[in-house]
This record gives sequence, structure tokens and C-alpha cells, in this order.
Amino acid sequence: MGKRFRGDDVTTRTGSPGEGHEARDAHAEATPTGVRIEARGLCRRFGDHVALDGLDLSIKPGEAFGLLGANGAGKTTFIRLVTGVLLPSGGHLTVDGHSPASDPVEVRKRLGFVAETSRIYPDLRVRAFLRFAGRARDLSGPTLERRIEHAIGRFRLEDVADRWIGQLSKGYQQRVSLAQAFLDDPPLVIVDEPTSGLDPLQQEEVRAVLHELRGKHTLILCTHDLSEARELAERCAVLHKGRLVTEGPTATVLGGADPLALFRGEAPADPPPPSPPLEAVR
Amino acid sequence: MTRFYGLVQKELLVLFASPLAYIVLALVVLVAGLLFFDHLRAYNQILFLFQTSTMGGFESGTVPDHINLRETVFFPVMENLGFILIGLIPMVTMRVFAEERARGTDELLTTTRLTAAQIVAGKFLVTHAFVVLAMLASFVYPAMAILQGGVGMQHLVSVFAGLSLLAVSLSSIGLVCSAFTKSQFMAVVSSWAFCFVLWDWSWLTPFLRDAPALAAIVDGISIHPRYSVFAEGVVRVEDLVYFAGVVAVSYAAARFALDWRRVTG
Repeated sequence: MGKRFRGDDVTTRTGSPGEGHEARDAHAEATPTGVRIEARGLCRRFGDHVALDGLDLSIKPGEAFGLLGANGAGKTTFIRLVTGVLLPSGGHLTVDGHSPASDPVEVRKRLGFVAETSRIYPDLRVRAFLRFAGRARDLSGPTLERRIEHAIGRFRLEDVADRWIGQLSKGYQQRVSLAQAFLDDPPLVIVDEPTSGLDPLQQEEVRAVLHELRGKHTLILCTHDLSEARELAERCAVLHKGRLVTEGPTATVLGGADPLALFRGEAPADPPPPSPPLEAVR
Repeated sequence: MTRFYGLVQKELLVLFASPLAYIVLALVVLVAGLLFFDHLRAYNQILFLFQTSTMGGFESGTVPDHINLRETVFFPVMENLGFILIGLIPMVTMRVFAEERARGTDELLTTTRLTAAQIVAGKFLVTHAFVVLAMLASFVYPAMAILQGGVGMQHLVSVFAGLSLLAVSLSSIGLVCSAFTKSQFMAVVSSWAFCFVLWDWSWLTPFLRDAPALAAIVDGISIHPRYSVFAEGVVRVEDLVYFAGVVAVSYAAARFALDWRRVTG
């Protein structure tokens, strides 16, 4: 078991993204955590290749949701559509009622994104990178510095805070990536292959910190690691060639005799009950 | 504004963390210095020849009017320096967008609250500031030639404005090329090609005698004639508009490249 990250002593994300961070702290207890994501008939094509084909998915506020599938299943395409990096070819997608296609900045006000390992600036020092990430989220002055110091402590980056990111191990780089995503304690955190390329100890460390975040944010975990999904995700969906194979509580979805069959696109013999309609959840 | 400031600061840190920035700065200063001293040496030789011989039909000790510091040193140095910038500036701009895509950091950048317009504006601003700094460093020797040649401060300002506008325009073209690819090699080669093609179309005008309107357009899009006017010490509104137009079109094209990526993936 790797070392645990320090406890999350930041007030759970509160208030609307447009509000000041101090005001958000003041409204801590009043507002529900996380955001709601709804996809209906979502399609994305790259030329003749269909990456997502009519995906229907609902993710509830505060839910830790696993997006599973083999390479090329459409997981990364889905999160790129949610973050507004890509435009959909068809269908409907909203994040807290905002369309990432037409209103990406409004969606990104609610978003912390952790890309695959090493997709951060190797030419910057850790502290400078966090400063940039904070300013890009409208943090400034003493609030920014306080958040940076908190993130450095929370993700145990004190020893490397003034080192170049390019000189750090992959595990540390992933911690830096997590630290930037949580600087303003966003309601939606998307983590793409968080333990890819990490050694077992580093994987355990990253999983530990993600485990602590469950229930405090809407967490979308994009992975092809079944044990990671079992440990972190309350509900999950399995994609195969852009289509939804199954969706439901993780224990049920992955509890069958051959969960890998889902990765091959074989529908479960006894499928889990479908998620309730969004109106019912509301 | 906080976001934009953060981006500008990040771009500056990334730029100066790279040895390429220092290499290009050093190359610009070195090339400007070599050009200047080479022309100065030629000028001194010509002076010596005219003052010690009767060659060329001139009486010994007399120097014709066209042999002066301005015509023999300053103008050719500026002309050559302008052309050499086509080779050097794309080396700075090639990495600005392309490297982000190649490393995958563009995904991080575009998932912040920065808009595409802010991202492009921030990268343009930092790159333009860098090339103007490089021009300032390279301008020491030409400035000495202007001042020693008795050309005057107004001329000095005009020439520096021309040199800076040229560098900013070339870097804008380079940034567009970088925005459309993730290969730095493709970015630098396409920048060289575009800058070289836009440099001077005057060679085409003799072939367009029957189409004067087309000849005027071809002349109008060339960078070199506009730059030469500044080197003469003349600042014309139409030339300022031309260089501003190059930057504006480049900005719009780079912005389009970022938006287009949302469509193509």
C-alpha cells in the first residue's frame, strides 16, 4: 500500500462557478455537490469512423462514474465532448444544463481535468505551473497563493514544488496534474487513465487520492483497468466501438463471470436494471 | 484578465525555458553584426580605393556621392537582415502551437476557462514581444550606422518600426503555420515557404503588363516593398495598414485553426 495523500480539508465545492471563491466557501453547506451530465443519442464521427454511436448516459451530481472499455471504445471521445474540446456530430449533451459545444467556458468553470500521464508542461516548475492553472481558473492574489500551498500540501508535492516538471517521475507528474485539477475545488472532475504508465505504488497513491474525492465531486473516471473501476466507481458504463454495452452499479456490471466479455462488446446475459430517467433523479 | 495574464506569464516561462529562444536571439545578433561589419569592411575598402587611386575615372582623393555610409552599409544591411529573418523567425514560431499539440498539453490548455480567442491572443502577444526584443538586440549596429552617417533620429525610429513590423508579420505567418499542425518540422518548413512566397512578387509584374489590375494586386501583397519604404525613413499609413492586416488575418486564421480542431479532432 502506498502512502496516503493528506486529507481533503478544503470545503467541498459550493455555490455557482461565477461566484467568488470566498463566497463559495461561505455557502458550503447550502448547495449540492457535483454536476449533472446528460447525454442523449450522442454521436461523434471522424470521417468514416464512428467513435460514438448514439450514446445515452446520465451521470448524477456527486457520483463517481467509471467509463470503461478497450482502447478505441470511445471513452476519450466522450470526455472530449464533455469538456468541449470536440464538437458532437449529433445528439444532445449537457453539463448542468449547459452545452459544452455552444457554451464551453461555462462548462469549464465547473471542470477539473486530469489528462493522461505527462500531459503537462515539462518546461515549467511545479509552483509556476500551479500558478498558471490557478490564474486560468480566475484565482488571483492571496487566494491563489493559499490554494497553491494547500494543493502542494494535499498532494504531497513539498519536496518537488520548485523543480522542473520534466524532471519528475511519472507518479509525481500525475500528482501535479491532480493538484491543478483541484485548485479551485471544481464540482466536476474528469480523470483520463489516471494510473496509466505508473508503477504499482504510484497507482496505489493516485487511487487513494481519488478514493478520498468520492461523493464530494462528480467524478468521471476513464479507464480500462477493472480493479481501478471496482475500487473507485459507484456506477459504470462499458463502451465498445462507440456503443453502450451496459451500464449500472459497478458491482453488478463487473460482477459477472466474465466481465472482459463486456469489453468485447458481448451484452451481459442478465443486464443490470437501466438507470432511472433523469426527471426521476431530480 | 487574470486568465490572460496567467497565460502570458506561462508562455513567457515556456519560451525562455527553451534554449531555442536564446539560440535565435544570439543568431539574430550575430548575423546582424556579421552583416554590418562585412559591409563596413567593403565600404572602407571602396573608400580606400577611391582615395588612393585614379581608378574609375575619378581624380585621386575624391569620393563619388553614392559612396556613403547610408547607401553602402545601412541599406544593404537592412535589406539582407530582413531577408534573413525569414529563416530565423519561423524557428521561434514553429513550436508555439505545434508543440502543445504534439505533447498533448493543448488539451489541458483548452479545458481551462481560457477562450480560444484568449489563447491565440496570448501566444501572439508573447511571440511578438520576443521578436521585437530580438530586433532591438540586432538593431545596435544599424543604429550606429544611421547615427554615424548623420541620418538622424527620425530615420532611426522609422527603420526600427519597419524592422519590427516585418518581424511581427513574419512571426504571425509562422504562428498560423504552427496552429495548423502538430509537427514542428511542418510548421517551420511551411512558414519558410509562405514568408518566402510573400516576400517579393515584383519579379512577376513584367509578365502582367496586359493585366495592370492584377499586377497592382500582386505588388500590393508583397512584404519587401513595404519594408523598403520604412528603410528609406518614410512611414506611410498604407504600409502600417498592410502590416496590421497581415497580423489580423493571421490571428483570424490561427483562431480558425483552434476552432476547426473541435470539428476535426
